Amino acid sequence: MGKKLLEVKNLKKYFKTPNGALHAVDDVTFTIEEGKTLGVVGESGCGKSTLGRTVLGLLESTDGHIIFDGEDVTHVNKAKFHELRRDMQIIFQDPYSSLNPRMAVADIIAEPLEIFNICKTKEEKEEKVKELMDLVGLDQRFINSYPHELDGGRRQRIGIARALALEPRFIVCDEPVSALDVSIQAQILNLMQDLQEQRNLSYMFITHNLSVVKHISDDIMVMYLGQMVELCEGKELFKNNLHPYTKALLSAIPKASIKSKIDRIVLRGELTSPINPHPGCRFAPRCNYAGDECFSVNPTLEEILPGHFVSCHKVKEINNL
Amino acid sequence: MEKLLEVKDLTIHYDTDAGSVEAVNNVSFELNKGETLGLVGETGAGKSTVALGIMQLVPNPPGVIKSGQIIFEGKDLVTTSEKEMRKIRGDKISMIFQDPMTALNPVKTVEDQIVEVISLHQNLSKKDALVKACEMLELVGIKAERITDYPHQFSGGMKQRVVIAIALACNPALLIADEPTTALDVTIQAQVIEMMAKLKNELGTSMILITHDLGVVAEMCDKVAVVYAGEIVEYGTLEDIFEDPNHHPYTVGLFGAIPDLDKETDRLSPIDGLMPDPMNLPQGCNFSPRCPHATEKCKTVNPCACEVGPGHTIKCHLFAKEAE
Repeated sequence: MGKKLLEVKNLKKYFKTPNGALHAVDDVTFTIEEGKTLGVVGESGCGKSTLGRTVLGLLESTDGHIIFDGEDVTHVNKAKFHELRRDMQIIFQDPYSSLNPRMAVADIIAEPLEIFNICKTKEEKEEKVKELMDLVGLDQRFINSYPHELDGGRRQRIGIARALALEPRFIVCDEPVSALDVSIQAQILNLMQDLQEQRNLSYMFITHNLSVVKHISDDIMVMYLGQMVELCEGKELFKNNLHPYTKALLSAIPKASIKSKIDRIVLRGELTSPINPHPGCRFAPRCNYAGDECFSVNPTLEEILPGHFVSCHKVKEINNL
Repeated sequence: MEKLLEVKDLTIHYDTDAGSVEAVNNVSFELNKGETLGLVGETGAGKSTVALGIMQLVPNPPGVIKSGQIIFEGKDLVTTSEKEMRKIRGDKISMIFQDPMTALNPVKTVEDQIVEVISLHQNLSKKDALVKACEMLELVGIKAERITDYPHQFSGGMKQRVVIAIALACNPALLIADEPTTALDVTIQAQVIEMMAKLKNELGTSMILITHDLGVVAEMCDKVAVVYAGEIVEYGTLEDIFEDPNHHPYTVGLFGAIPDLDKETDRLSPIDGLMPDPMNLPQGCNFSPRCPHATEKCKTVNPCACEVGPGHTIKCHLFAKEAE
């Protein structure tokens, strides 16, 4: 086991709405080791982005603990929050709206360096920006370009360079490749893997794309309506998935092959509302195995197999364990 | 099999002040009744422009159909008058757009929007049109009582079903679906794909499916055209594209770029570089600047489509010898 970098315990984030509390993240617990990647998968509205932002402290958590490098950072003052940005960074989904259109590439990448007064002279700053551009595979001729002049892949590289400028140890990657075409997506994924190896980075990789998450993650957490339903090693999840939602999710991916036709589990219905949810399993209304218990009692996350956590009342029954 | 649509040497350019954007160049394909053709390619490949060309909806100016024919049920749509086209659109050919959030009118009820297309094309009384609209809604799996709802009251997957109901309301011979499931979550995508496949079989509709997702292609299509920089670089049956060992280097790159769920790969093998600017296409083969097999010839001579098997064509010099 490597060194634990981030530990999240029973994290909750509720939003107040006129109709009641929206349970965006409900009782989420996980750890990320140094140099490893935790993939977080789920459909839109399952709370995965809120989780990422809450972990970084961009959103105030409602309950629970966030421990970064042995230190509780759940509630920190402004100065400490500021300091933490050097270690924790984020790459956003949309390379169009996450870059200021009125700033040139050099200024965007240099902004974190300026905020932390890292470079003494102008020359030093320019040197550092160029270094970062090389690192992410961005041609130096773009140094004075504006974001609108560049395509999505190059813009995402700017976002990555900006996140890396302060040499963080942990990066939340919020759907970093979803807005990109497949061939560009592959280039960015390879780049992120290289950077992780070089710098021993830890990633929390948020995505709805299961083949991407399988490719890049060491551990994978599946979320449904704010709750974690399954957490285990990446390979294990694809070989031996136990939760009925994970099974349905995996079978729903169209495969780029005509040989392997799978029996698809098509889920009925759609997500229920996360506002003041009823007790019981949130997946129960769409689950083929749901019994009375599932509609009344909240399932808890249990270690069903070594290192394999599942939150389901019927898990043993369904999988003949 | 009966031929429904034949596109011959279609070339569409957007003439702008900065120059001519060569969006579609010499594209040809055929579609038989009941078949589904997949147009696969990345953003900017010209897939959607082909679809707009068939619908005669290319925005003009700046878009111009420079040459080619689009023969639908024996009639060339390129020379058809706008008045005639308005009768065909929504009736014989209809289209599903990528984004169901923007394809529906937010200030009109779903009822108004489905009834509109029915009353435009079919000689039905108001009452009968409403009955038909309710039937369509039930067909796509939405309860008829929700017909008086507004689009914002539906979820994304349901909105896309409403769009499909509108598109199929007049039982079109050809349905063009432009990235119909891209905006949806995977489990909802699975529902919509299952429903579209079912309806297509029941109604015998031909379909052109535009997508960048090879998985969706594998599920739905009979024939596949791989589009790159405004050209069809490979064309064949589903088996040709997924099973045949002969492929255009771009098709190989496209497959190499997707992480495979069944295999363990440490690194992906993406295609280097970017798609060329359609305003400034390279000399010779459009793919040559990114192609690992490019020779001098590729940089000067634009290859022709070579037949490597019955109905399987590849537009690449690598396969030219076998054809000679």
